[in-house]
Amino acid sequence: MNAVLQSLQPPARHTNEDEEDAWGYGNLDQRGGVRGMMVPRVPDPAAFLNLHTDSISSNPAAKIKLAHGTTTLAFRFKGGIIVAVDSRATAGSYIASGTVKKVIEINPYLLGTMAGGAADCQYWETYLGMQCRLHELRNKERISVAAASKILSNIVYQYKGMGLSMGTMICGWDKTGPALFYVDSDGSRLKGDLFSVGSGSTFAYGVLDQGYSYDLSDEEAQELGRRSIIAAGHRDAFSGNTCNLFHVRENGWEFIANYDVNELWYEYEAKKKAGASQAQAQKDEGMAVE
Amino acid sequence: MALFDQRPAYAHEPTVAPIEHRFSPYSDNGGTILAIAGADFAVIAGDTRQSEGYSIQTRYARKVWQLTDNATLATNGFAADGKNFVKRVKQRLEWYEHAHHKPMGLKAIARMIQTMLYGRRFFPYYVYNILGGIEEDGTGAVYSFDPVGSYEREACRAAGAAQSLVQPFLDNQIYFKNQTPAPGAEAFVPGRLPMATVLGLVVDSFTSATERHIEVGDGLEMYVVMKEGRQTTDLTDEGQLPAGMKVEELGSMGEGRGEKTFLVSMPLKRD
Amino acid sequence: MEYNGGSVVAMIGKDCVAIASDLRLGQQSVGVAMNFEKVFPVNDKLYYGLPGLATDVYTLREQLRFRVNMYRMKEEREITPKTFTHLLSSTLYEKRFGPYFLEPVVAGLTTPTELEPKPKPFISTMDTIGCITTPKDFAVAGTAQDKLYGMAEGLWEPDLEPEDLFETISQTLLNAVDRDALSGWGAIVHVITHDKVITRQLRSRMD
Repeated sequence: MNAVLQSLQPPARHTNEDEEDAWGYGNLDQRGGVRGMMVPRVPDPAAFLNLHTDSISSNPAAKIKLAHGTTTLAFRFKGGIIVAVDSRATAGSYIASGTVKKVIEINPYLLGTMAGGAADCQYWETYLGMQCRLHELRNKERISVAAASKILSNIVYQYKGMGLSMGTMICGWDKTGPALFYVDSDGSRLKGDLFSVGSGSTFAYGVLDQGYSYDLSDEEAQELGRRSIIAAGHRDAFSGNTCNLFHVRENGWEFIANYDVNELWYEYEAKKKAGASQAQAQKDEGMAVE
Repeated sequence: MALFDQRPAYAHEPTVAPIEHRFSPYSDNGGTILAIAGADFAVIAGDTRQSEGYSIQTRYARKVWQLTDNATLATNGFAADGKNFVKRVKQRLEWYEHAHHKPMGLKAIARMIQTMLYGRRFFPYYVYNILGGIEEDGTGAVYSFDPVGSYEREACRAAGAAQSLVQPFLDNQIYFKNQTPAPGAEAFVPGRLPMATVLGLVVDSFTSATERHIEVGDGLEMYVVMKEGRQTTDLTDEGQLPAGMKVEELGSMGEGRGEKTFLVSMPLKRD
Repeated sequence: MEYNGGSVVAMIGKDCVAIASDLRLGQQSVGVAMNFEKVFPVNDKLYYGLPGLATDVYTLREQLRFRVNMYRMKEEREITPKTFTHLLSSTLYEKRFGPYFLEPVVAGLTTPTELEPKPKPFISTMDTIGCITTPKDFAVAGTAQDKLYGMAEGLWEPDLEPEDLFETISQTLLNAVDRDALSGWGAIVHVITHDKVITRQLRSRMD
């Protein structure tokens, strides 16, 4: 009976009859879109994906565990854009990796950050890099950050409800100056000065908000980004390991450094303690004078 | 009409709960894989047990596959998906060689695996892949993938059933995590361990996993990919390998640069 | 078990035992405290660890303190590790159908007596309802259990002297909790010998 029902059902959306064509990059169709995403022939492909993977909700019973958990942040200031991320990937409570590159170098002027599905971000931001290069070849000028982020946003919107999971910040410098966009797999695309995405974002915002100002110096801004990631890496179980720091300026992005979250945390603690004992000493001194 | 009346009595009873028909194309066949990169070699290993639930389907099923002279792929997860995936990777590599008259480089294979896996983003291969081999610059490399194609180059990686048992051990022994050199001693440099040490660690990892994980055991296959110029005697010489190992040199697969691949195998506990 | 996180490991050495835990107390993904000890002394030769739900850690610890004190007063002697294990087991089984969410680990040395002149170092572990296992090598429990198994299986060897046992259990714990999101945030190790207990806090990853 089930088989009869199945045969009467219209073919699933996005079904590719010849799945051998499921090739990936370098196989754009006539309209320049991506073809060959193979979809299971079931009435509700998204429900199928949700049953077997933990890509949409955190489905702990799922066999296929995809990497999750993150802290990423980016903010605009007078010296450009600071991008700082952690490097931890977790599958359940297991730390699957502590060396993930969550900043994706789209091209020398554009950076994308990774939160949510690692593969979704890696794949589509690489693909975005191709589209940006095609834009350069066609128009003899670099793509704007607004246009680039919109390409990405339009792609993920096409797949809305199918189970893609990404929360990304597209950062770059174009004719308008430094620009920062938040794009996610629900289809949101927001322009802004300060964003943080991921399970540790609340902790990062806490540090970020109390220290942020548009007029920060380069050093102050880098320190704020770094300090925010350390705070989030410390408190959030699903963030940590190392911090990658990038600075976007007029002539493109620059990788500042990779820091061990743990080592920096102990440094900050030592400074905190030194500061406290110094304050106490001053207080004692003041009392002695009185 | 008589036909219908012959139905068993329970067929007339109302259905208590809806009957669920869902499409379940996946199974977990257990096992563990592991790869470690050295300065000019890579070891890619896997056990040979294939299981479903508590039953062993076979004590010898391959999980590690030689792709080219300088690349070997290990697959873990759902065995049917793994076999099919390797078959398709090999087909793409053959087409590449016909088109370009040279074998595909390691990092290109890695990127190709990403796109092939992501092509099934909405109907994933339930396979965790680890690719190991020699990079074009002659260094040993390991690439690890999630089922839908996110990947990363690393010095070592364990995947599969006993991943959580083996990986912390590797962090400690390969990356020297939580170890501090004695005062005045040389600093630890990861990724520079000699081959004999690496093979010893692989064997220890799998014997440990066999003790504590029911899905791991029966046999161990270690594929050793060596940069051109390294000798067979690096493996076969006295003291290079623990006792009881079988070493087999695998023939060249095409126009490589003279990298050599060896299959070192040993039995694991069968209980 | 995953609500507060935390892990405990115990190991047998030559005339000594060691027991260690992490110090994290969390509320799922959020770290709350980094001084939450899960290992408690019964006497100077017997310690036990209670990884699991923090509220049950306190309840069971007090319950056990009461019962061990009653034992001491009635028997006028210290409880042995073996007896304590059974006391703990039956305490857990009392809550068979609404168990404490804990997986205890016990480690201790038995004082030689005429009946038992050469007692062996003792460790034991049990499930949430008190089913006892008494390993001859090591016992692990908590959210990093499988990682601890892998580490311990790779590092442990028989007849380790106290200092070597300290190094082995420390490396086992640190590297295991570094792969577990819900354990870590500090660590503490106790090595129990016949004449003293060595307790050390470890400098561990704080992320």
